[in-house]
Amino acid sequence: MPAAWWTRNRHYFLYVVREFTALPIALWMLWFLVEIKRAGDGPASYRPHGSTGFVIFSVVCLFFALYHSVTFLSLAGVIIHLKVLDRPVPSRLIVLTMFGLWALASVVIAAVLIGFAR
Amino acid sequence: MAEKRITIKATRFDPDKDSAPRLQSYDVPFTDESMVVLDGLNYIKAHMDGSLSYRWSCRMGICGSCGMMVNGTPKLTCNAFLRDYWPRPVTVEPLNNFPIIRDLVIDMDDFMHKLKSVKPWIIRKQEIPLGAGEHKQTNAQIDEFRQFSECINCMLCYAACPVYGLNNEFLGPAAIALARRYNLDSRDQGLKQRLPVIGDSEGVWECSFVGECSVVCPKGVDPAKAIQQSKLDTTLRFVLPYGNRED
Repeated sequence: MPAAWWTRNRHYFLYVVREFTALPIALWMLWFLVEIKRAGDGPASYRPHGSTGFVIFSVVCLFFALYHSVTFLSLAGVIIHLKVLDRPVPSRLIVLTMFGLWALASVVIAAVLIGFAR
Repeated sequence: MAEKRITIKATRFDPDKDSAPRLQSYDVPFTDESMVVLDGLNYIKAHMDGSLSYRWSCRMGICGSCGMMVNGTPKLTCNAFLRDYWPRPVTVEPLNNFPIIRDLVIDMDDFMHKLKSVKPWIIRKQEIPLGAGEHKQTNAQIDEFRQFSECINCMLCYAACPVYGLNNEFLGPAAIALARRYNLDSRDQGLKQRLPVIGDSEGVWECSFVGECSVVCPKGVDPAKAIQQSKLDTTLRFVLPYGNRED
């Protein structure tokens, strides 16, 4: 396989982008762990990291995370094979349910974080 | 009016003479809009160069013999119309990811071993005697596996799969799709014999879901779906307390 195999067609390229998104997300999560450690010293000494570079990095990571999540959840309809009352559940319904649960989980986590911040 | 013609560039490789495959151009008459790439190759063999080697048989998308790379995409050449490429040249190469035996003929031994390893036939713990009559299935039971039974072993999915290209230990899309076809068959009882092969690290878990296997399949089989569903099944069988029940 030539090193540039993933440039042969659009499908390969999007696949490699999807796989690559894991790297910046992992880096951001490592940074997040560092921030948690810093916050553990108490509110008096904690200053959130707010440099322009970090904000740009976070926004880029957010887009990568969204792309990864959307592609992952969209594939749920292919992977999950469910039957209700002996009839297969349509893939579209499974995907919509996944996105609904994702939205619900995001709202709950946001509510908890905002609640703790107050 | 001048006869319409099309250029076909075909891979030539003689292991006794050539150190590497090369492309040779042929200017072929394109007389009929229904001509397919395989017709072009047959014209070359019959009228221009009888030494060109390639596999083909049924000419109707059933046997799966004539799979080749057509302008870089794995296709059945009996199902790739010249009108879709004309007036540009058509490049015909052997399927990617397989060793070349000669010209457009690939060595399919690796695939045949993998196919055999998943035991793609109905396995019964105890055969039902012929006198007991047919083993009936409902339409719903047939619908469970029908899609995967359409596979014709043409190996286009292997040529499209970069995972197989990078690691040919990977069991591959068609073999897993056929394993799933039999695992889903209500008459079959061979799941436990196939699990060690499909659940192996070089089985379903090697797949990272590129999905190109399903895109190129000429029969509308969705091997990527078979692989991902098999991942879920093998995981549930491992995790759930009743997962290793006999069935």
